Amino acid sequence: MPKDKKKEEVTEVEHVDRNISSFSQISHLIDAEIITRLSLSHNKLTVVPPNIADLISLQSLNLWNNQIEELPPSISSLPKLRILNVGMNKLTKLPKGFGSFSELEILDLTYNNLSERSLPGNFFFMQTLRALYLGDNDFEMLPGDVENLTNLQILVLRENDLLTLPKELGKLTRLRELHIQGNRLAMIPPELGNLELVGSKQVLRLEHNPFIPRIQDQFDENGAAGVWAHIRTDDYRYFFGRQEPSSTPVPPKRNKEKKVSRKGIQQA
Amino acid sequence: MVCLGMEPDHNHINGDLAHGFENMVCVRCRDGFSMQDQMVNSSGEVWHSECFVCAQCFEPFPDGIYFEYEGRKYCEHDFHVLFSPCCGKCNEFIVGRVIKAMNASWHPACFCCEICNKQLADVGFLRNAGRALCRECNEREKAAGHGRYVCHKCHAMIDDGQHIKFRGDSFHPYHFKCKRCSVELTTASREVNGELYCLRCHDTMGIPICGACHRPIEERVIAALGKHWHVEHFVCSVCEKPFLGHRHYERKGLPYCEQHFHKLFGNLCFRCGDPCCGEVFQALQKTWCVKCFACSFCDKKLDQKTKFYEFDMKPTCKRCYDRFPTELKKRISESLKDRDVENQRRSMSPGPK
Repeated sequence: MPKDKKKEEVTEVEHVDRNISSFSQISHLIDAEIITRLSLSHNKLTVVPPNIADLISLQSLNLWNNQIEELPPSISSLPKLRILNVGMNKLTKLPKGFGSFSELEILDLTYNNLSERSLPGNFFFMQTLRALYLGDNDFEMLPGDVENLTNLQILVLRENDLLTLPKELGKLTRLRELHIQGNRLAMIPPELGNLELVGSKQVLRLEHNPFIPRIQDQFDENGAAGVWAHIRTDDYRYFFGRQEPSSTPVPPKRNKEKKVSRKGIQQA
Repeated sequence: MVCLGMEPDHNHINGDLAHGFENMVCVRCRDGFSMQDQMVNSSGEVWHSECFVCAQCFEPFPDGIYFEYEGRKYCEHDFHVLFSPCCGKCNEFIVGRVIKAMNASWHPACFCCEICNKQLADVGFLRNAGRALCRECNEREKAAGHGRYVCHKCHAMIDDGQHIKFRGDSFHPYHFKCKRCSVELTTASREVNGELYCLRCHDTMGIPICGACHRPIEERVIAALGKHWHVEHFVCSVCEKPFLGHRHYERKGLPYCEQHFHKLFGNLCFRCGDPCCGEVFQALQKTWCVKCFACSFCDKKLDQKTKFYEFDMKPTCKRCYDRFPTELKKRISESLKDRDVENQRRSMSPGPK
């Protein structure tokens, strides 16, 4: 039997890889008022019930590797939630008002089927967000609204379909990790040169993009630091300002047929 | 009253008084006169000739000139010594016209403008910073001295930048001596508690100077960062709140409160967001409290000995890594392979230009 048998005083519930397909299977173990952590990774959940909002003390909710296709709008009203991991699921969109979390600091949406069209209007208004993981999704562009994530330190956009980045990213002065490898980026806006992303405490991942030669040459020769130094030059700024958006052919998207998040999802 | 007298003519006196001199007595010795005695008569009084002398030196009056004051007669020299004013300039006695000015007496020829030396007795003078000046020189001085400090002690102008402040007034520094070592002060002196000290004594007296406001600290002193501080001036470099005895953190010579130090310098736990104290885990460019270090995907606790993988720079336990979809693992291993090749190639090629 699970060690969380006693309902009293149990504030952390961990049921990882237990073949759970519904929240009702574990609800008897949960004292909604006091539970602070709920870890249900590697299960078979398809739905998160709206009464998840009753867990008023919940700080950390981990639903990694389930089969969730949709989240209830009520999830954003969890008043204490700081960490939400819904990665490795089958999300194609986020509910309306998703960005209204009051305390959310770490949001992991890795490996879903999300794109810029999946986001509600207030998504980028989570002032408390420190880390946003959007790797392995379907973004082709990122809205300039991202500038409102003023506390963001970590942004992962690894292996999406991004063709461009918004210059507004350059306003996220607290950013110390940027992962944009494996996209379709030909250029990087010179404004991103404002960001201090080169150093022993920073992470900058740029590989596997169809960069224009002057960026690729820098990357091959001096790595990410060389690219960052180059986009800070007046020469590059001038060059970037004169590029026509359609001057380069659009590279094809990566084949994602084998992604498990796709299985059983109706393709648009 | 002083009256200048001349010794009367002896013969004339003797002739006048010849008929009754046996009843007279000398004013000085009170003796009578014999026929042989020479008599001196002055203003109706008579003396033996040898008794008619200066009341101070008992010598006869040279050339018969005497000066009388309060009933006594003095020779000219003694009269001046006792009663004449002295000239403020040449220190000689003043006989005749006396100029009284500037709280002193002067010979008319000695009372001159202190700048151009013109005699002032008849043209008048003006007082300027304790000096008597002629009208012209006074005008010039007034124009030149406009905006300068006047010494509160000697009332003279002080050259630009050469004054010191003491109890709110300006002075020439050379009017004062250091309270401690008595050296004559220069402009590099300091006032402490209403006393003046030379800079050297001031510095060795150990009166601490606040590192923030650069003023002396007379109450509680905080010593930190190699400097002294007023309690209320030792503050966090970010929020500017005084530490008031609470712990502070230093970085590159600046003090920070705990919260802002960790916020700025990245020692906040990646998971709980609180400052990490004591033992911490540092990996993947992040820091964790010991209790918070866990697999990002199943929340399983990790410790120093647990092998973990990196995925998007997050710690990943072996079970979670093994359960990644095959196609994802394939991409991860390909990108790791690429990165190895890149690193190798870059380490072999010459460094950045």
